[in-house]
Amino acid sequence: MTATLEPAASTAVGEVPTFQVTLKIARYIPSDAPAPAYGEPVPAGTARWDEFQLTVHGTDRVLDALHQVKWDLDGTLTFRRSCAHGVCGSDAMRINGRNRLACKTLLKDLDPSKPITIEPIKGLPVIKDLVVDMEPFFASYREIMPFLITGANEPTKERLQSQTQRDRFDDTTKCILCAACTTSCPVFWTDGQYFGPAAIVNAHRFIFDSRDEGGAQRLEILNDKEGAWRCRTTFNCTDACPRGIQVTKAIQEVKRAVITRTF
Amino acid sequence: MTTIADPKAPRAPRPGPGRRVTRGNVEMASWLFMRISGVVLVVLIFGHLFVNLVAGGGVKAIDFAFVAGKWASLGWQVWDLLMLWLAMIHGANGLRTIINDYAEKNATRLWLKVLLAASFVAVVVLGTLVIFTFDPCPAGAAAGTLPSFCPAP
Amino acid sequence: MQTHEYDVVIVGAGGAGMRAALESSVRTRTAVISKLYPTRSHTGAAQGGMCAALANVEEDNWEWHTFDTVKGGDYLVDQDAAEIMAKEAIDAVLDLEKMGLPFNRTPEGRIDQRRFGGHTRNHGEAAVRRACYAADRTGHMILQTLYQQCVKNDVQFFNEFYVLDLLVDHDLAAGQVPDHEEVNVAGVVAYELATGEIHVFRAKSVVMATGGAGRIYKTTSNAHTLTGDGIALAYRRGIPLEDMEFFQFHPTGLAGLGILLSEAARGEGAILRNSTGERFMERYAPTIKDLAPRDIVARSMANEVREGRGCGPHKDYVLLDLTHLEPAHIDAKLPDITEFARTYLGVEPYTEPVPVYPTAHYLMGGIPTNVRGEVLRNGTDVVRGLYAAGECACVSVHGSNRLGTNSLLDINVFGRRAGIAAAEYAVDATLVDLPESPAATMSAELEAIRTRQDGERPADIRRALAETMDANAQVFRTEESLTQALADIRALARRYRSVSVQDKSRAFNTDLLEAVELGFLLDLAEVVVVGALNRKESRGGHFREDYPKRDDAGFMRHTLVYRRPLTDGPAAVDGDSDGPFALSSQSDGYQLVLGSKPVSVTRYQPMERKY
Repeated sequence: MTATLEPAASTAVGEVPTFQVTLKIARYIPSDAPAPAYGEPVPAGTARWDEFQLTVHGTDRVLDALHQVKWDLDGTLTFRRSCAHGVCGSDAMRINGRNRLACKTLLKDLDPSKPITIEPIKGLPVIKDLVVDMEPFFASYREIMPFLITGANEPTKERLQSQTQRDRFDDTTKCILCAACTTSCPVFWTDGQYFGPAAIVNAHRFIFDSRDEGGAQRLEILNDKEGAWRCRTTFNCTDACPRGIQVTKAIQEVKRAVITRTF
Repeated sequence: MTTIADPKAPRAPRPGPGRRVTRGNVEMASWLFMRISGVVLVVLIFGHLFVNLVAGGGVKAIDFAFVAGKWASLGWQVWDLLMLWLAMIHGANGLRTIINDYAEKNATRLWLKVLLAASFVAVVVLGTLVIFTFDPCPAGAAAGTLPSFCPAP
Repeated sequence: MQTHEYDVVIVGAGGAGMRAALESSVRTRTAVISKLYPTRSHTGAAQGGMCAALANVEEDNWEWHTFDTVKGGDYLVDQDAAEIMAKEAIDAVLDLEKMGLPFNRTPEGRIDQRRFGGHTRNHGEAAVRRACYAADRTGHMILQTLYQQCVKNDVQFFNEFYVLDLLVDHDLAAGQVPDHEEVNVAGVVAYELATGEIHVFRAKSVVMATGGAGRIYKTTSNAHTLTGDGIALAYRRGIPLEDMEFFQFHPTGLAGLGILLSEAARGEGAILRNSTGERFMERYAPTIKDLAPRDIVARSMANEVREGRGCGPHKDYVLLDLTHLEPAHIDAKLPDITEFARTYLGVEPYTEPVPVYPTAHYLMGGIPTNVRGEVLRNGTDVVRGLYAAGECACVSVHGSNRLGTNSLLDINVFGRRAGIAAAEYAVDATLVDLPESPAATMSAELEAIRTRQDGERPADIRRALAETMDANAQVFRTEESLTQALADIRALARRYRSVSVQDKSRAFNTDLLEAVELGFLLDLAEVVVVGALNRKESRGGHFREDYPKRDDAGFMRHTLVYRRPLTDGPAAVDGDSDGPFALSSQSDGYQLVLGSKPVSVTRYQPMERKY
């Protein structure tokens, strides 16, 4: 749409015509039985695809469509969401095979002539429908010591930092921990042992902060067998990041820092 | 309604203890090795290809005598030995990475790596043996197929 | 059912909750219960900045900040509290910097500051650079930094646990507890989303930090999860709610969507224009124009639209013009909000003005507390061990209209205070006995909703509630519109009694929780409207077209709304049996009884509010 100062602007909010979409949603309804063992197929009947036909507006996001399903058609559809404009990181899911935030993906930008497939993010245990267990993800995050580490002498006022030093790690401060990157990574899919892009991004945020003194410890952690070296630079993470963080670049910078630290 | 085609998604957490902490620079060394050996291999392999296929009489000149002649010099022995070892370590390490990335079960992973190690050892040992124990003038061979420096039978 | 025992239980893991947890967890055994993962909290959506009179870029002091806060709140601010906030703001910002918050920097490497609505030098002379910021992601950085510190200090979180009840050792809701009697908090009841199991948390202190309730409105900048749970629980358990009629409408929500575009845009020089291209704020606030406080700007925008100078085919929005700013400057200072405009409206802010309209943003009112964060159960008495901080609390530092950036300040200053006070109290206190079967009421209610076969769909009721609130209790209010809203809310509350959900399972039943949240929203909407009906004046965020003037003689007091059983006799509370706060409003099965509380006035006598 356009917005100009002339009152006779051509189209406007809410005037984008409505259209039909079909959502194809991966459902998983947990049973009372214990979860299937690692690598074993799930029992038949607990996992299925459901299709829903909806009439949506041009400004509607995938999240609006999911709400329409939940509120009007099938209340059992379960997903996480909160802020609905891409800052809280609750609703990362696999939409048409790509990890995105449902609240940041406009339906009109997907091809409405084909069903839009929606699946949970891959590589984390599914709890119900589109909800996955985020605990392994946050465990990796916690392991890289995601907090400012400083020496004993605290200044009375703020620590000084130039804007250039501040800009050095600006990109990685944008992370909202939505897990879109980590769960787009083929290396993470296999066994979930890899720290994953998100943890490395958050380590990067501190390693390159001029005020931080814990860089060596974090680099040592990421020098692990499951650390930065498992990155294969497939750039899936960079493509998936809803915040536009150059994730792969950050990982490469961490690798370089580990090497320059050693030699 | 169909069953999800990819049953990997809904699954229980991986059994056993969590991530084992490994310290030391093994993975870094391996990562660096891949890049450095890659560059060296480019030189070695293209050098090898040029000498064998382009220089002199070109591809038509290759015969037993040509190979035997090369391996009579220590320089070419070292060249080919380096090429063999670097290529084998580079390739095996790459395969190890692929196994780590794609084998899901610990047992699968272990057996694939055992197989990889066994074939690595076999090829490297055989190849090395051939380079060093190669006899350019085997007894009883027709003189025309031997390099010129072989003593006349 | 599981029972846990802690010294301090903090409900909510947004800015206020985590700031409290950082203080409390180093002093005593603390648990944080949150219905979301902490980093999903809506503090992260705050954009523009956090004001503190650091004077890093120009002359400033906390006294000016106090004055701006008081004037911005149209003199309904408790001035002692505002003074504390403005003074402690400086340390609050420095503390965050020391925790690692990546503020933007001045050329000297100090924390950079920028202009923000209503913040002025020397009592209103001109706009002042007071807001410390990290691009337009200040709230995101605060939330991440506080969570990082919680990870560092190993704070114990119960994530995706919904608090369903607040346990107090007296039945305050019956209205029979005499003044000055000692009332203690006993704990909370929570629902584990993953399993559907009920958990009882016994605690010596409880800190409520559950955030706002913007979801009573349709057009809102608030998250879907901001349903006022903690506020409604306190209210249901007999604690009054203060100043709930004051709801802030943020001027610049993306038109039709309500997604927030920070005031920082105007702080950096953006201009609001109507359909004729006029910079209309020059007419409404000649001195500080587009940087007037939010209530004034929102009302001016709504007025432009109402008088036919709106833009678009329906003439239902105005335009936020950034086109005269350098794209590089926009990228450096306002990257996120320009991306919102691109993503959601397809507008390129470099070259096109962005359609905006006021969006429900912030609840000034809430659970009444004193400056230590202790919750009041009437005008004076506290509930021992019960604390509240952040948007769910009403200290009151925002009065009838909050200034931009003061909410991030509020959560840090009063979150910290509540955390310290709760921990110090818990060190000496003993656990109070739990009532018999503490979870019985809520689990019965939950089971009833879950197992009811046919009934009203929660979504239908919620949509109808939001529609009527938007139509009748938004920027402009009248006796007639508010009466309509109240009638609608009560009709919806009646329908809510037969609400049923489709998801009958126990694990991760968000359908059920949405129904419970709807109950909270209905309760709070009723309090908002009853308070608004009673306040026959216009002040700050509450504008009554039938009473367009401020009335200090009648209404320079804080509203308190109590939920009490129906009685035959008069239902007035704490000496307000005559005067403007004597209303009681009968609902089905209970009544809302109004009381009031004096405003603390220390330095500044009310004056006419002009900018």
